[in-house]
Amino acid sequence: MAAAQSKNMTTLQVKRFKPSENPTNTYLTDEKGVWAWMTTVDHKKIGLMYLVAVAFFFALAGFLAIALRTELWTPAKTFIEADTYNQLFTLHGAMMVFFVLVPSIPAALGNFVLPMQLGAKDVAFPRLNLASFYIYVIGAVFTFISLANNGFDTGWTFYTPYSSDTNSLGVIWVTLGVFILGFSSILTGTNFITTIHKLRAPGITWDKLPLNIWALYATSVIQVLATPVLAITILLLSMENILDIGIFDPAKGGDPVLYQHFFWFYSHPAVYIMIVPGFGIISEVITTFSKKHIFGYWAIALSSLAIAFIGFLVWGHHMFTSGQSAVATTVFSFLTFLVGIPTGIKILNWVATLYKGSIEMKTPMLYVFIFLFLFTIGGFTGIMLGALSVDIHLHDTYYVVAHFHYVMMGGTLMALLAGLHYWWPKMTGKMYNETLGKISAVLIFIGFNMTFLPQFVMGAQGMPRRYYNYIDQFQPFHQTSTIGSYILGAAFLIILYYLVRSLFGGEKASANPWNSRGLEWQATSPPDFHNFDHTPVVINGPYDYHKPMEEFQLGLAVEHNGHGHGEHHEVKTDQTEKA
Amino acid sequence: MANHSASHPAHVQHHFVDSDQQFESAKMGMWVFLVNEILFFGGLFCAYIVFRAWYPELFTQAALELNKLWGGVNTIVLIGSSLTVAMAIRSAQKNQIKGLRINLLITIALACVFMVIKYFEYEHKLHLGIAPGSFWNPTPEILEELSHPKANIFFGIYYMMTGVHGLHVLVGIGLMIWLYIRAGKGHFSSEYYTPVEITGLYWHLVDLIWIFLFPLLYLIE
Amino acid sequence: MSEHNHEHHVATAKQLWLIGGGLFVLTILTVVVSNLGLPSPFDIISALVIAFGKAYLVAAFFMGLYWDTKFNSLLLIGALVFFILMVTVTLLDTMYRQDVVPSF
Repeated sequence: MAAAQSKNMTTLQVKRFKPSENPTNTYLTDEKGVWAWMTTVDHKKIGLMYLVAVAFFFALAGFLAIALRTELWTPAKTFIEADTYNQLFTLHGAMMVFFVLVPSIPAALGNFVLPMQLGAKDVAFPRLNLASFYIYVIGAVFTFISLANNGFDTGWTFYTPYSSDTNSLGVIWVTLGVFILGFSSILTGTNFITTIHKLRAPGITWDKLPLNIWALYATSVIQVLATPVLAITILLLSMENILDIGIFDPAKGGDPVLYQHFFWFYSHPAVYIMIVPGFGIISEVITTFSKKHIFGYWAIALSSLAIAFIGFLVWGHHMFTSGQSAVATTVFSFLTFLVGIPTGIKILNWVATLYKGSIEMKTPMLYVFIFLFLFTIGGFTGIMLGALSVDIHLHDTYYVVAHFHYVMMGGTLMALLAGLHYWWPKMTGKMYNETLGKISAVLIFIGFNMTFLPQFVMGAQGMPRRYYNYIDQFQPFHQTSTIGSYILGAAFLIILYYLVRSLFGGEKASANPWNSRGLEWQATSPPDFHNFDHTPVVINGPYDYHKPMEEFQLGLAVEHNGHGHGEHHEVKTDQTEKA
Repeated sequence: MANHSASHPAHVQHHFVDSDQQFESAKMGMWVFLVNEILFFGGLFCAYIVFRAWYPELFTQAALELNKLWGGVNTIVLIGSSLTVAMAIRSAQKNQIKGLRINLLITIALACVFMVIKYFEYEHKLHLGIAPGSFWNPTPEILEELSHPKANIFFGIYYMMTGVHGLHVLVGIGLMIWLYIRAGKGHFSSEYYTPVEITGLYWHLVDLIWIFLFPLLYLIE
Repeated sequence: MSEHNHEHHVATAKQLWLIGGGLFVLTILTVVVSNLGLPSPFDIISALVIAFGKAYLVAAFFMGLYWDTKFNSLLLIGALVFFILMVTVTLLDTMYRQDVVPSF
């Protein structure tokens, strides 16, 4: 994919074209009816379908979280039984991780945005893309079947030997569900890597890729390398349940810690599958609303890949107290500190991007600030947990719970909300209510910190995670946390309300409401079925805010075998603006 | 929509510029998928290595229960099928559809031979009670040879590795039949043989995995 | 890459048969070597060296990596690298434990 092939320099005839503000034919009007949606291979519609599915599971798992918090209002039983409680927190974790966080940004927003940011008409394998959605649905069905078979209360990590000894039927169904779900993730990753390599519009060389694409690329690499290991682990676990194969079961001579190695070989990189695409969104939103070139393009792009790589070598920090060897724990602890470096590079570059920018405090930008604040706390507490001796004290307490909620909810979910608000006009062609958007963002910030800050404190004081009962001294912390979770729930309801309302009564969105220089904003809102009227030609970077808008609206003037592979082109501008 | 009316050959999907881009994309996509496959089997190989490092004597003892001869024959069968797949691709590239179909047929036949031999190997072991997991119930004579207390673990790994590999062979057979039918309908030519090419890549990977499984399971004693 | 049009490499029948023959010979060789009963590390080493030789032949010529874009080779090598990482780091634990299987 060498970018600089000067001998391949071709001359392209381009002209300016301004996206129409009143598109008559969009991807939403192109084909109609439920069947057309269900069989569509259009990446935009598949992205929307993923978005609806993810929102559904988020609502479900979020509802469970509120039920859990309510149960913890009193030290003893409040309204549900202990066994139910165990099942509910397991379900909350498993759903949030496998059905919400992993597919949320890549499969929902990424699917919509990636081909547009590349100037492509679709992803490389559109049918595979649709298949990945249905595989996701089948995985979900298996999970519900598991619930009908007494469910599972193993925690989302399915640690052996408990998971292989207890209530096998429920665990078998859900592990098969996760196995199937993994393929959905693998197919998305495979699709994205190929698309980024092979379907870039003329002129998009590797140094002109939006950072969102770099982030999705790093994510896809992790998905492709890590998910198969989860698949085989889960398959072995199912066999453990069905056949007592014995590899992970100490009663049969196997090794339960080996299960943890396998599981975390996937699941640690998986937290980067969740957070790295969020980084991509932050880079996009922060430049758009600072009207400034990103600071340290290559630093941010390559740190995504560095995180992807180092992220594979730190899984053992989940196992410091599991009985793994002292050599391994020491090495894992050291490597864990290393991951902090590329993440820190990103945060500092984003802050530097803000410096002297014309910052516009729109809702997406508000979420970016919330992200920066919460994710930094999540990151720092992660470093503390990576320190061996500290971890012995904090392991399996609410401190860990608070840490990963700061990273996953404060990081990934805030980035998802930023991206959702940012691309909402492009996806739907409608503007949402800005005031309500800001109010709910502030509510989320307040509710989030109320929910999870007390958990750091009680965790450090020794409140273990996953406990149904607790001693009286923790009650004020738990109650504050519960009230915070209600505020969070209310804020999400407001978001749901104004987003749905915008679909029906919202103001019409212009093609580029934020004046972004990104390629996806040079299509109409909502975009045409084929994304762009003309094959776009790119000669400027995606963050060149110092250049006038006109320089960004180039497309092929004549019929030509459009999408190149990002080779260098000599661009001749002629002809006038399209009416 | 000026740029859609461009003279696309029938097999080129709308979002590709030309046949070449489509071919290269499909091939790369398959390679990325093979990366998946390698790490999928990698988990099993990792379990194998960990247990072998712990209990080397278990592996030398248990490998004696596996039949080197039939393992070797199966290796040669699978290598032969890889050769015929490569020949099938060559036929497609040279527009020899008849050759393509014949080579595919031979490949299917060889893959079936592989599965039949595998079946008899399994059959034999199950007969002796060398079965996976809770069905583990070796006959007294076998127990004398397999005195190691963790012999069941070796065969757990053995059945998982060969079983998952066997599933891949079955999937491969299905794909070959599909290719055979499509070739009969005249879908392939030297201009368009992408499915043959990428199915070939898949099949070679199945062969590659076996190339490592054979010495690791049967030969190291 | 985009520059070549329909110039997919076509291996000659002779090349393919040679590779197939080579694989056949190596398979016989690995069985013969295993019957020699080499002492402990050398049996594994010889078996793996032959297996990697066979894997190279299949990947380079049957799968066409020898003529293909280098990126596809990179993908294969990358997969192996990550597999090796997974194994070595896991062994860092399993080989240095006090008890092989921790008791509960």
